[in-house]
Amino acid sequence: MNNPYRPVETDVLEAIQETPTIKTIKVKPKERMSFQTGQFMEITIPGVGEIPATPSSNPASTEIMQFSIMRVGKVTEKIHQLKAGDTIGLRGPLGAGYPVDSFKGKELVVVGGGCGFAPLRSLMYELFNRSGQFKSLYFRGGCKSPKEMVYRKETEDWGKRPDLNLRLTVDVGDETWKGNVGVVTTILDDIKVNFPEAIGVVCGPPIMMKFAIKKLLEMGFQESKIYLSMEKNMSCGIGKCGHCRLGTYYCCKDGPVFTYDKIKNFHEIWD
Amino acid sequence: MSKCVFLWSGDLKSFIGKLSETYQVYLPVKKGTQRFYKKYVPDLNNIVMGEVRPFEPLKAFFFRAKEVVAESFENRVPSPPADKPLAILGVKACDLKGFKVEDFVFSNNTDPDPFYLKNRERNLIISSDCTCAIDTCFCLALGLKPFPQENFDLNFSPIQDGYIVEVGSSKGESLIKQHTSYFKEVAKVQEDERYRQRNQVLQDVETNLKQFDVPSQDRFQGAVERNFDSKIWEDEAKTCVECGACNAICPTCHCFLLYDQKDEKKMERLRIWDSCMIKDFARVAGGANPRKKLWMRLRNRFEKKFDFFPKVANVYACTGCGRCISACPAKIDIRKVLKRLVIGS
Repeated sequence: MNNPYRPVETDVLEAIQETPTIKTIKVKPKERMSFQTGQFMEITIPGVGEIPATPSSNPASTEIMQFSIMRVGKVTEKIHQLKAGDTIGLRGPLGAGYPVDSFKGKELVVVGGGCGFAPLRSLMYELFNRSGQFKSLYFRGGCKSPKEMVYRKETEDWGKRPDLNLRLTVDVGDETWKGNVGVVTTILDDIKVNFPEAIGVVCGPPIMMKFAIKKLLEMGFQESKIYLSMEKNMSCGIGKCGHCRLGTYYCCKDGPVFTYDKIKNFHEIWD
Repeated sequence: MSKCVFLWSGDLKSFIGKLSETYQVYLPVKKGTQRFYKKYVPDLNNIVMGEVRPFEPLKAFFFRAKEVVAESFENRVPSPPADKPLAILGVKACDLKGFKVEDFVFSNNTDPDPFYLKNRERNLIISSDCTCAIDTCFCLALGLKPFPQENFDLNFSPIQDGYIVEVGSSKGESLIKQHTSYFKEVAKVQEDERYRQRNQVLQDVETNLKQFDVPSQDRFQGAVERNFDSKIWEDEAKTCVECGACNAICPTCHCFLLYDQKDEKKMERLRIWDSCMIKDFARVAGGANPRKKLWMRLRNRFEKKFDFFPKVANVYACTGCGRCISACPAKIDIRKVLKRLVIGS
């Protein structure tokens, strides 16, 4: 029987400093591992511990994966010290990702905030892989400051794509910023889709998700068509250790991607 | 009724000795006023097959308190050093109900836990009737009887001069066949004796329920949700010292912590029992914690047992064993909390 707690030995190929607090690691597992966008993995620093993280790379790339990690704790501190040639472990893919197949023929509005850019980059790659399958595609992203916008250059370059309607914003601008200043909900008003039928995807810090959902609902989106990526303390990843319970679900097994209607009545969802 | 045979009390030790050839046998031994599971050795004294549940919950033999679950990047499932399967004797009905929850978590899922499954497959369970009740017993409130009705291989009902042995599985059946010389037919008077004795213990537990005014489980539905914003939680959590004894001692609590360690040669991943009463239980590295306050964590414990499990697995994750009542240094009494939730004040 397969041992669900065993990490797969994985080589670190490269470590890229994205922002003062976020690093992207490019890794290659020694066994075949693939993921669907929105699913997460557990990254092991041998002897130190594990953290849950959603790959930020293209799901079509099945050999090399990327994770963009914010430095916040014991394990992420070690991840920030990784360099090419180091060995880590990977467990997964875990949980349920975005049901991209069901997005076919729909209008999509993706709203991201701060650290939510990482999993959403993977989603955007997947949507770009399927370019032409959707009626329209919007990306609205917000960060605290231009300096903290992960993949800023790449994201700004998406603006040249004919298949994407892109707008970005920052809470506080600087001399390099020519775009909108304000929270992400201030750049949603020009979206022109058939709201009751459109798909919304929201990923970011809890407070941002809370307000983005409120706004999308006011605009006419349906609760069952807004996809959220929830963050709880996922540890075992298979619905056993109990740490990430969210109402009648485990975030790790039943999520991390949920439609809003499934979880809106649970307590503690934004805490 | 399933097949029953009689074992003379004078043959119990010899039968256990036979079992110990194939199994590592654990059985309840009385020390002071408590019963503890002890590893069988030939000169073991004070064995108690009857009475009430031992101090430790049965889950400890299946979901170990501390276990290596991965070594380096190898896929092999680490095995415990002693490779004999376990035979656990004197298991009570309340602990057997714990399997309904533990099985749901560890086996009944798309990702079964190989450690738990292996123990469930290999270990032998010889349960026994309760022959008395202690004042913390309230199994009847959870719809259980103080004698095992399912989830055992063999069940022993202590009667005068011996035990009525009931077969509960094919594993138990073959054990009887294998040691057929020990067993005799059950006489009608012996069956009657078991019936009388079981009724007596039922009455004892019934008396407990009346004395402590414990509500029955058919009044639990919606009780946690209705009282989610109630003052009950803060009130009950006032004396809690966040020790987690209630979790460790509970036959249904299944939460665990994974942690990694390494020496020069290898790394190990260990799994230890965790407690949802501890402050960091649901905290994420970024700092967010959905249950910052102790009373929120007490509420979560009740929500998990009396709201989550009935919704996802159709079972209340409480067996009425009363261990958490005796273990709590703050004297938080689950019966009292349930009563307050049911009446709503």
